[in-house]
Formats: sequence, structure tokens, C-alpha cells
Amino acid sequence: MQQENRKLNFDVLVVGGGIAGGESALNLANLGYKVLLVEKELSIGGKMILLSKVFPTLDCAACITTPKVSEIARHPNITIFTGAEAKNITKKGEHQFEAVVLKKPRYVVVEDCTGCQLCEEACPVSVTDEYQYGLAGRKAAFIPFSIASPRAAAIDIENCILCGACERACPTNCIDFTQTEEEVLVKIKSVVVATGFNLFDPLKIPRYNYGKAKNIITSMQMERQLAPTRPYNTILRPGDGKMPDNIAYVLCTGSRDKSIGNPICSQICCMYSIKQAQLLMGALPMADVTIYYLHIRAFGKGFNEFYAQAQDMGVEFVKGKVGKITEKENGNLMLRYEDIEAGVVKEAEHDMVVLSVGVLPNMEISESFKTEKLALDPFNFVNQSDVLASPAKTSIEGVFVAGTASGPMDIPDSILSGGAASAETTSYLRRASL
Amino acid sequence: MARINPEFSDELKKYGAFDLNACYNCGNCTAVCTLSDEENSFPRKMVRYSVLGLDGDLEASLDPWLCYYCGECSTTCPREADPGELMMSLRRWLTARYDWTGLSGLLYKSLPASIFAFLLLVVAVIWFAAKQQFDVASIMHYGHFFEMAAITLVFALILLPNIIHMWWLTIYKPGIKAPLSAYFKSLEDLIVHMFTQKRALGCDDNQFRWFEHFILVLGYLLLLFTTVFLNWFETTNLFVIILGYVESAIIFVVTFDFVRRRIQKDQAISKHSHPSDWFFVIWLFLMGLTAFTVRLFIDVDLLETNLWIYLVHLIILVQWALIIVPFGKWTHFLYRSFAMYFHRVIELKG
Repeated sequence: MQQENRKLNFDVLVVGGGIAGGESALNLANLGYKVLLVEKELSIGGKMILLSKVFPTLDCAACITTPKVSEIARHPNITIFTGAEAKNITKKGEHQFEAVVLKKPRYVVVEDCTGCQLCEEACPVSVTDEYQYGLAGRKAAFIPFSIASPRAAAIDIENCILCGACERACPTNCIDFTQTEEEVLVKIKSVVVATGFNLFDPLKIPRYNYGKAKNIITSMQMERQLAPTRPYNTILRPGDGKMPDNIAYVLCTGSRDKSIGNPICSQICCMYSIKQAQLLMGALPMADVTIYYLHIRAFGKGFNEFYAQAQDMGVEFVKGKVGKITEKENGNLMLRYEDIEAGVVKEAEHDMVVLSVGVLPNMEISESFKTEKLALDPFNFVNQSDVLASPAKTSIEGVFVAGTASGPMDIPDSILSGGAASAETTSYLRRASL
Repeated sequence: MARINPEFSDELKKYGAFDLNACYNCGNCTAVCTLSDEENSFPRKMVRYSVLGLDGDLEASLDPWLCYYCGECSTTCPREADPGELMMSLRRWLTARYDWTGLSGLLYKSLPASIFAFLLLVVAVIWFAAKQQFDVASIMHYGHFFEMAAITLVFALILLPNIIHMWWLTIYKPGIKAPLSAYFKSLEDLIVHMFTQKRALGCDDNQFRWFEHFILVLGYLLLLFTTVFLNWFETTNLFVIILGYVESAIIFVVTFDFVRRRIQKDQAISKHSHPSDWFFVIWLFLMGLTAFTVRLFIDVDLLETNLWIYLVHLIILVQWALIIVPFGKWTHFLYRSFAMYFHRVIELKG
């Protein structure tokens, strides 16, 4: 490991480059503060940049995210570290923090990479693509996804066989296998935690047979199939590439379920499932879509109308939690559920099942705070110590929280939360200069 | 129109139920249950009835007896409302409902009352033994006589009227008109379920538990036959003697395993134990063990000098025959099989 003695000074460290962290960083930078944005993934944009459309307006998610991402990437007051994690964050005093940022090697000099993809063509190693949520493959030398920022190659060293084909193919000689992990010590005045959420892993519910039955996918996988940067250019079931014509949604997969340890509502699954159902009606006009739900929570502005619109479009809504999913020989799925309206247990056959997976906390960041503890709430999201008067405030003065790091919320709320965090950070920083 | 009774859940909690109001009616329990089908979708319906306090619908329902408690509904319940244990509590509640004497309900709800009843019988047996001047032969003679009398009277006075009551609540009162032929045609179901409990095999991964239970029932019924009709304690027939040993050994070995599971709580079904469950398994265990020991003491000629061992056996037996059989968990043997029988009758009626 390379211990670099670079000492960098910033006003704010924003941990997490999703839509909430990006919004905070952009607001702060526009006010003249120097911002360091640290992103664990190879691209900023978070989960939103991978989505198809947003509810309830059906605006294109990428069309909202990409201009914002470009603005962040080009802003003179923002420095971005991708493939990096903020490790030791210590509070030295009022308005004085130090953090160690661990930068993992990308093996590509980003400044020199033109994104020509010749390395991708040359690379002989194929692995599953995590940015397409396992629906497609990628090379070990790859550009994360077409609208990634930075749009630069990276080497997946875990799977790389060190054949050197990419190096030979690269016209700008930007591939550099001598890069090592580096630790950068940064001094900052405040921190914004925008570390987002994890998706529930349906392997934890064995009776749903996810991972075994091939035509069961998660809602994020369906999101990828519907997105402009989709892998198949149409909707296909992964088992045999058939175009599905009878799709089921299983709501509350990993939400509101004490038996798997997540008792709370994820707040987004009802609406994103309704959105996907509407998009599917457009993509596959002959397909039937059935949504199995416990309660439809259409609480936001325009949500209930959006729900009614889906019903009018012919989306079938069935009240009842799916208990078991079994695979038939032809790859179709049998869903066993109780039809609550009738009070009768029923079985239904679908040729593709989408599990509407819930939002889980991303707890990692709390371990990075060393001197003072970053308190978590009972559900392991970052605790908002004064949720009504100062929603971005955390247990540490000078550390603010934005977006889904503080709890499940949708995109407009995440952006609002990012804005709130930047405003509270500004007020904290202003106090330092007074 | 149904009348809602919010106090009913408090009543049911005395029979062992938990927080049934936690249920948010997702139907997961019904969907994961392998015994639930289109005609009988449970347990959520029972949870709903219980939350609303529809005791009339509950006592007319056979569903609680159709559940063989694999525990899958409880382990996967998103609200931890424990529907499996609710079904168990409903079976206790129904047992109390069918019982015309009302003693079942009293003993289920009150542990002190149960303990008092058990102690009362201890005193009664010792008092009786004292009256016989602790003479082994005479006590054993009356003991054997007691077995026959208890079987006849408990069946005639308690169990038979209770089964008729059960029929009245589940078939007659709801206005189900089944032809007499349906009762004849269904007899086969009654016998099969009474002696094999084969419906329990429909539960997931239940073969071993079913097998244990099956040989326990078989061992118990045969031991009953061997002691009462073949007079095991006084016979000299070697075959009968060995038969009795095997049967009593089966009883205490299997029940030992049941007690172990209830202590270790390693499965959903053994997680919660109501006092009535403990009494049932422990007394069955003690019955097997003491019967085995008594016969052993007879065979090695030690009983004459060790009357106490027979007295212990007699106390256990009397408590079993006068408390657990008529008013306790033993009744599930009858109610479960008759529930299957009535269920079939209702099916046949169309």
C-alpha cells in the first residue's frame, strides 16, 4: 500500500455520490465551498442513474441524473474520488475534521482514457455485469456503463488474468497496472453522509426460490430491463429469453417483515412497481401484469392518481402476500397466496415474477467515525437527532445526513433531503467564519 | 350481522395465544400452510375471527383441528403474530367449549386449579391405600378395577356427551343437513385418522415427528389394552409380559424425546408450552416409566417390600384418568379424529 502524505484541505466531505450526495455537493459548491465527493463505486450517480423512469411523472431518470452528474463532474469547486471510501473520520474540534480516504486502484489513468472501449474488445475475460444486476456480461477491462461518470475504463483485477491485451489495445496508454491502493489524509470542516441504502437480497427468503427458479428477478433487474441503457433492448425472461406475457409483482419482499428482520415499510416499492407495470404495458402491449400487495401505499403528491391510472390501464391488483413460489418444468412460476378479499388460498401461474425488494440500511459508514459515534436509529439508518427542527442533524455536530442514509424515501424526497443537508451544512460553516 | 367482541382476545390469551392484534391480514400464514386448501383456508381466517371475537363462528369451525402444527406459519409470519400457537390455543379453547362440565376451561385457564386437582388426587389415593392397610394385593386389585371403571365412566359421562356437543356445534347448529349415509361412508375416515394421524404427514418435513407420534399412540393404546384386558401386572403369560414391557418402553422413550424438544425449543412447534402440554407429556412419560418399573419389581420379586412404587404408579394413573383424559390434552385424540370425520361428512353432503 502506498502511504501518500498528500494533505488535502476542503470545506466539506460528502460521502456518497448518489442523487442526495450529489445534490448536497452541488449546492455547497455553488455557494463557493470546496467539496470532496467520495464515491465507493466506479461512477457517481448512485442507484438513480441506473433507473428507467421516475414515478409518478414517468420522467426519464437518466435524463434528470446525467445533466446533474455532468455538472458535478465539471464543477471547479468539487473534487471527486470514485472507487474510494472514507475510512477514519475523526473530529479534532469545532469545524475541524480529519478523514482518511482509501482510494482503490482503477488501473486506468482516468484523465487519459477516452472511453473508446478498445480495451473492452481486446479483453478475453467475461464475467457477469454488476451494473446490469447480473442480467448481462461484461469484460474484466470495462466501462461500468455507458452513461457512467467518469466515462472511463477500469480493470476488474479480481477477474483479470494479466494478459496485457488491453494495454496493447489502448491507443492512449492509459492502462497502468502499477497503481496501488492509496490513503489520502484530508482535512475538512464538516461532513455530509449520503451513503444511501442497500437492496434486500431475496435469497434470504428461500420459499420464494429466487436464484433457483430462473424467471424470478428483482425489481432492480426489471428496472435495468426497462432503462434506456438496458441490456436486451426489450423485456425478456432470463431463463430462456422468452418475451413474458404474464408478469407478477410480489410486493413487500423484505419489507414490513419481522421474520427477516426488517419490520418497516420501504416507501418506494408500491410506487416503483406500479410504475414498472405501466412501463411494461407499453413495452409489451399484450402482457398481463398482476401486482400482489398487502396495502398499496400511494401517499405522495400524484401517487394515488398514478395508482388509479395503472388500474385503468388494466394492471391487476390482488390483495394477498405471496407465501411460496415454485418453478414449473417449462420455467413458469406457481404463486401460492391467500386471496384476502375471498379468504381463500389460491395458486396462480405466471411466466415471470418480479420481487419488489425493499430498502435496507447501509450501516458501514457508522464504523468510519472513530472519535464520536454516529448514532443509528432502531432500524440502523443514520439517526436524525432533531428530525423536526433540523432533519439533517446527526449525533455528531458538523456531520449531516442526506437522502436514504437516514431512512427509506423516494427520489424527490432524497433531493429535498440533500438540499436540507447542504443548507444546514452551510449554516454550520458560516458559524465558523463569523 | 356479526357482533364484535374485543375482549375475546384476552380470553384466548389465557389459553396460550399471543398478540393476535399484531396481524395485518397479509395471508402469508394461509399461503405457506401445506394443509390449507380452497375449501379450508386457514389459519388467517381463524386469526381474523379471534381478533373480532366471533366466538360463534369459531366454535362452529373445524379448522383448528385440521392444523397439525408444523409451525411454518409462525416462523414466516411477517408480524410475529404466531398464528400456529393461536391455532393451538383455539384447540384448547374448543376443548373447553365442547366440555359440558366446564372443568376443562377451569383447568386450562388456571394453573393453581390444576395443581390443586392433582394434589387432591394424591391425597385421595394415599387415603385409600391407608384404608387398605397398605396391602399390595388388595390395592392392586382395586387399581385394576379402577382402570376399567374409569374408562367406562369417563367415556360415558364426559367424552361421549362432549363429542355429541361438538357435533351439535359444528354440524347441527350451523344448519348442515347431511344424510345418514354420509355418516356411514365417513366412518372409514374416522378410523383411519384415529389410528394413523395420516393428515400430519401433509406437513412439511414431518415424517419423523409423525412416526414418533404414531408409535406413541399405538404403544399407548396397546398398553391400555394389555393392562386392562390382559391384566399385565398379574399375568404369567410370557408373551403378554414382554408385550407390556415393549409398549411401556415405547411410551417413555418417545415422550422423553417430546419433553426434550419442549425444553430445547428447537422447532416452532416446541417453542411454546402451555401447562397443559407439560402435564400431558410428562404424565405420559411417568405412566410408561412407572408401569415398566412396577412390572420389573414384580418380576424380580421386590414389589412386596416396595409398595411405594405401585402407589406412585397408581397416583399417576388416577391423575391421568380423571384429569388429563377427560379434561386435558388427551381429548385431542378424539376431537382430531372426529373433526376429520365431521369434515368428511360435510364434504360428502356436497
